[in-house]
Amino acid sequence: MDARFDLEMPESCEEALTLLAQDGAVPLAGGTDLIVDLRARRREPRLLVSLDRVAELRGIAAKNGRIEIGGRTTVTDLVRSPAIATAAPSLVQAGMAFAGQMVRNAATVAGNIASGSPAADLVPPLLSLDADVTLISTRGERTMPLAAFFIDYRKNAGQSDELIRTISWQRPPERAVNAFYKLARRKGDAITVTGVAVTVAIEGGRCTRARIALGAVAPTILRAQQAEAMLEGKALTPALIEAAAHEAAGQSRPIDDIRASAEYRRHMVKVLTRRLVSQAAERLG
Amino acid sequence: MTDVAETTATLPNVVYHQIGKPLVRTDAPGKATGKTPYAGDYVMPGMVQAKVLRSPQASARLVRLDVERARALPGVVCVLTARELPDRLAPTDIPGQTGQARLKTDQQILVRERVRYHGEPLALIAAESTDIAEHAMSLIDYELAPLPGVFDPAEAMQPGAPLVQGEDNVVARHVIRKGDIAGGFAAADLVIERTYRTQFIEHAFLEPEVGLAWVDENGVVNIRVSTQVIEHFRFIADAIGVAHNKVRIMGALVGGGFGGKEDITVEVYLALLAKHTGRPVRLEFSREDSFMGHGKRHPFALTYKTGIKRDGTITALDARILSDAGAYVYLSPYVLLYAAVAAPGPYRIDNLNVEAASVATNNMYTSAFRGFGAAQACIAYEQQMDEIADALKLDRLELRRRNYLKTGDPIATGATVPSAIWTERCADLAWQALGERKEPDGPLRYGRGIAAYQQSYGRLTFLHDTSEAWVGVEVDGTVIVRSGVTDIGAGQASALAQIAIEILGVTMDNVVVYNSDSAVTPLAGTTTATRALYMTGNAVRLAAEAVRGRLLARAAQAFQTSAEHIELANNRVSVLDNSARAMPFAELVKMCAADGIQRQELSIFRAPFSDKLDPETGQGQAHPDYTYGAHAIEVAVDTETGEVSIVQSIACHDVGQCINPAAVEGQIEGGAAQGQGYALSEEMIYRDGKLMTPSFSEYLIPTAMDVPKVKSIILESRSGLGPFGAKGIGEPSLTPVAPAIANAVVDAIGVRIYDLPITPEKVVRALQALDGGSETKSGDGGTVNR
Amino acid sequence: MASDRAITLRVNGRSITTAVPAHRTLLEALRDAGFVDVKRGCEKGDCGACAVLIDGVAIDACLTLAWTAEGRTIVTAAGLGKDELHPLQTSFIEKGAIQCGYCTPGLLIAAHSLLAMSPDPSEDEMRFELSGNLCRCTGYSKVFEAVKDAATKMAAREAHHD
Repeated sequence: MDARFDLEMPESCEEALTLLAQDGAVPLAGGTDLIVDLRARRREPRLLVSLDRVAELRGIAAKNGRIEIGGRTTVTDLVRSPAIATAAPSLVQAGMAFAGQMVRNAATVAGNIASGSPAADLVPPLLSLDADVTLISTRGERTMPLAAFFIDYRKNAGQSDELIRTISWQRPPERAVNAFYKLARRKGDAITVTGVAVTVAIEGGRCTRARIALGAVAPTILRAQQAEAMLEGKALTPALIEAAAHEAAGQSRPIDDIRASAEYRRHMVKVLTRRLVSQAAERLG
Repeated sequence: MTDVAETTATLPNVVYHQIGKPLVRTDAPGKATGKTPYAGDYVMPGMVQAKVLRSPQASARLVRLDVERARALPGVVCVLTARELPDRLAPTDIPGQTGQARLKTDQQILVRERVRYHGEPLALIAAESTDIAEHAMSLIDYELAPLPGVFDPAEAMQPGAPLVQGEDNVVARHVIRKGDIAGGFAAADLVIERTYRTQFIEHAFLEPEVGLAWVDENGVVNIRVSTQVIEHFRFIADAIGVAHNKVRIMGALVGGGFGGKEDITVEVYLALLAKHTGRPVRLEFSREDSFMGHGKRHPFALTYKTGIKRDGTITALDARILSDAGAYVYLSPYVLLYAAVAAPGPYRIDNLNVEAASVATNNMYTSAFRGFGAAQACIAYEQQMDEIADALKLDRLELRRRNYLKTGDPIATGATVPSAIWTERCADLAWQALGERKEPDGPLRYGRGIAAYQQSYGRLTFLHDTSEAWVGVEVDGTVIVRSGVTDIGAGQASALAQIAIEILGVTMDNVVVYNSDSAVTPLAGTTTATRALYMTGNAVRLAAEAVRGRLLARAAQAFQTSAEHIELANNRVSVLDNSARAMPFAELVKMCAADGIQRQELSIFRAPFSDKLDPETGQGQAHPDYTYGAHAIEVAVDTETGEVSIVQSIACHDVGQCINPAAVEGQIEGGAAQGQGYALSEEMIYRDGKLMTPSFSEYLIPTAMDVPKVKSIILESRSGLGPFGAKGIGEPSLTPVAPAIANAVVDAIGVRIYDLPITPEKVVRALQALDGGSETKSGDGGTVNR
Repeated sequence: MASDRAITLRVNGRSITTAVPAHRTLLEALRDAGFVDVKRGCEKGDCGACAVLIDGVAIDACLTLAWTAEGRTIVTAAGLGKDELHPLQTSFIEKGAIQCGYCTPGLLIAAHSLLAMSPDPSEDEMRFELSGNLCRCTGYSKVFEAVKDAATKMAAREAHHD
């Protein structure tokens, strides 16, 4: 690899943050994106701060109905966690369609979020769960909705000295369905063509919460908020679901690339939104 | 999973002790324990590391190339450009010991002025480390002036198209004319005409091209390299301007080939750098280098027009075949010839017209790939058979049954096939194994498809192919096989061992195969064209039989009986029907040694030789023999997203005789997976010649989650030309898979997609067109009812 | 430019000390140290040929910087068996799960990591956990047979030890 940088391997979060306060410092978590970028010289940091030994950043905790996961939690941790299986089925589904084993064993939740890739598979599920992200630096800590974190293509609200410390969300209500579908050109280890995550809650025959998050169909992963608004407070009839799915497709801003055309992606937003919301409505009766 | 169906032997049944048994391959333990060295695992003291600088443009003029800053970088040992190689050209013709006149296809080694494809090498660098070599690449300063390029073979044939090769870009034409084509169409009740298109395909072997070269004390350039063809030493010697005996190629166990390591890859660069630096040089392609550094499978456009009677009898076929040769000729003429010969498939078509052309463009050059043109033809003829069946409302298998070639029938070239043709049994068995049809399930529609095929094994007979092997017995009763054959992962060496021990009556733990050294092991020809088992297997058989004959004579003398009454098996020598009279094999060998009886033999096996096909009619002998079989597929198609899953994948092939059934199954299962990728997910995409799929993130071969368990039904007609009646299975296992999948998709969704791969997007578009009631046939032409 | 640093890696029960710069990947460092059973296939985490175990977990050595592996226990395919072959190796050999063999070391490592997480994996689980190891020769069928067979052998061995 024709790349030149220094590498520090702090043992604590505090030490890591101090290092990250330096100019040109970049955190290294699983490395599954960053090392590839370094080799291709897409990024040329001066200093890498490895988070390998910062144990406090890794883990899954559940208290008072709130789930909190450390930024360095790996995709394998998520997939194999009984707590996540009940608190965020969509996240497990995303993990089950995420790269291959070795990458899942290394890749982290924070890394996937911070990569800024429109095809980052953990993000639509987290958006569909109304997750918050907590950033930390030597200057302090701040928490924001994950939806506010993404600004534009590979641009986010994080500062260069900040780490994603935790991601947290409220466990969805009992009568809710949370699901993700990844459409790709191959079943195993493939980049997403269109990914849709939904959370649908129904009480008394009416939809009390609708979240629809769309991956790989815009410069950032986004929520289809108008479509969500169409569903909330209403009985989920096939006609309404169809209309909302159509609206979600309208909110997407896909591009043509080698994997698929923009037109197909937009159509898939409609198909998958309709499918996931319909399945949820069916399951919740 | 295997069903070895009941054998209908055309040769007398004999009991084999080793042949036909799933013995552990000789190469397996080393590979499972990580002990096997591949070509990239060799190092030498003082070795330098090399890199290739490639053109980022597909069609350009090299205006300036300044390597001085790179040369000045500490640690850089050598930078070579075309300026340092003024007289040097690289041959790219079909390799091996052919004795035929070479095609005039010698080409520049490094860009002199004209860049013809994206990735064409501009300079070679050798440095003390890979890091330095990579850094030096970034210091080379060059200027490319874009030139108009041509990226479509049909456009490249037009007058005034930018010239890439020769006078008119056409690098080869072949015709096959037989019977009365006009009469055949006149006799037809129905004529169907369609165009089927295939894509660029990458071999995607896991081991990128790699080698290590050094010049020894005798001035011999030694190259340890991952290759299917050690006999490239001659072309390499010609390229660097030394005598043929001054280049030695040593293979290693190869990390996959599939035709992608049939042409020269790193060898000439290594030889040049070793000569210029005087030091051992190692060159390893990155994955991106590999994608840019060897020829792809040709995209084909095949326009098939078939005349049929109402009863399903084919009266005529007119096939127009066009392949994209890319920027250089390589093996395009041969691949095209295979496609022309295979054009009618395993069907008897007496009125036949095939016109085939291969045309140069500024796309990546194309060359050998498992199936070698015959696979592309199968994609056309098997889809057309289904379209004919639909048009006639005839069962798909029944239509095929009415047209299959039968044993003894002439094929496209007029030659008869020397072996049994069991296509019908294969297709019926594979189809029956699919079981009950599945009902639609929500948006999922199930469909099934069949494809039969004809695929040659052995090289074109006008190449006058031969293979040599040496078999010897040591005084302790162990056996040595020596042969130049390269082992590219199918167990080529192990199969030779199994043949030798069958004939000599010893067990697998008592044999060693030394292979793949052009200076030391007898030249066996290439591991290509599904020929290794057929050719070198026969050479080993001949050598082992010669040794056996002498051993039997000595044993007969010892037991005072005749040689026909001696059995050699399981390291024992015994008198038939009298097991009390026996001795260890080693004891017999010692007797021979004591008597000075020769215990080794070097044998040559010659394939049938022929002249070239008649240039006007394409009639004559093309290949030694053919393998026949079929593949059946069941798919599930998500009609909303267009995703296609393979639910069942069932192969039935007549392999003649299994040497090692586990290895045969391995070939079939691997071929099924490659065929699945060919049909559904794989495509090397070039936009204006530029590679858009430079890694395994974009070029999608099937993963463990994509491929179903493959069921292999293996038939043994014992009628092949290989040892013990074996046929070849390497290429045949792949050939029918993609068209079977294409046919299954149509069965599921009621509309055909005429260009591979069948992506989810194409499925959705085809279904939308069907729903819209608009013209659904994206194939050119249409059905004409008469 | 970052300078070389001497690091000590514990690989297959051996300690090796090597001076490498920060950007040296574990794949490069291991191969340079002679652990050439770790195969280079893509250098971007797409193919799994370079998989090794770090503290029992399979990772792609091409995406791991060598310095970060210091102090960890590294096992390559060649280090799976101690005095005798590991059951996975035996099963891969016996079931014909190996053709060209270039992907085999990575598959063995991924399978080992899988069996550590799930000693009796379903077929779906095997497919899922081996999907990061590209194989172009076998079509995977015999690989699944081999992993299943090894799991059975290992369970029997466990039972025997109990």
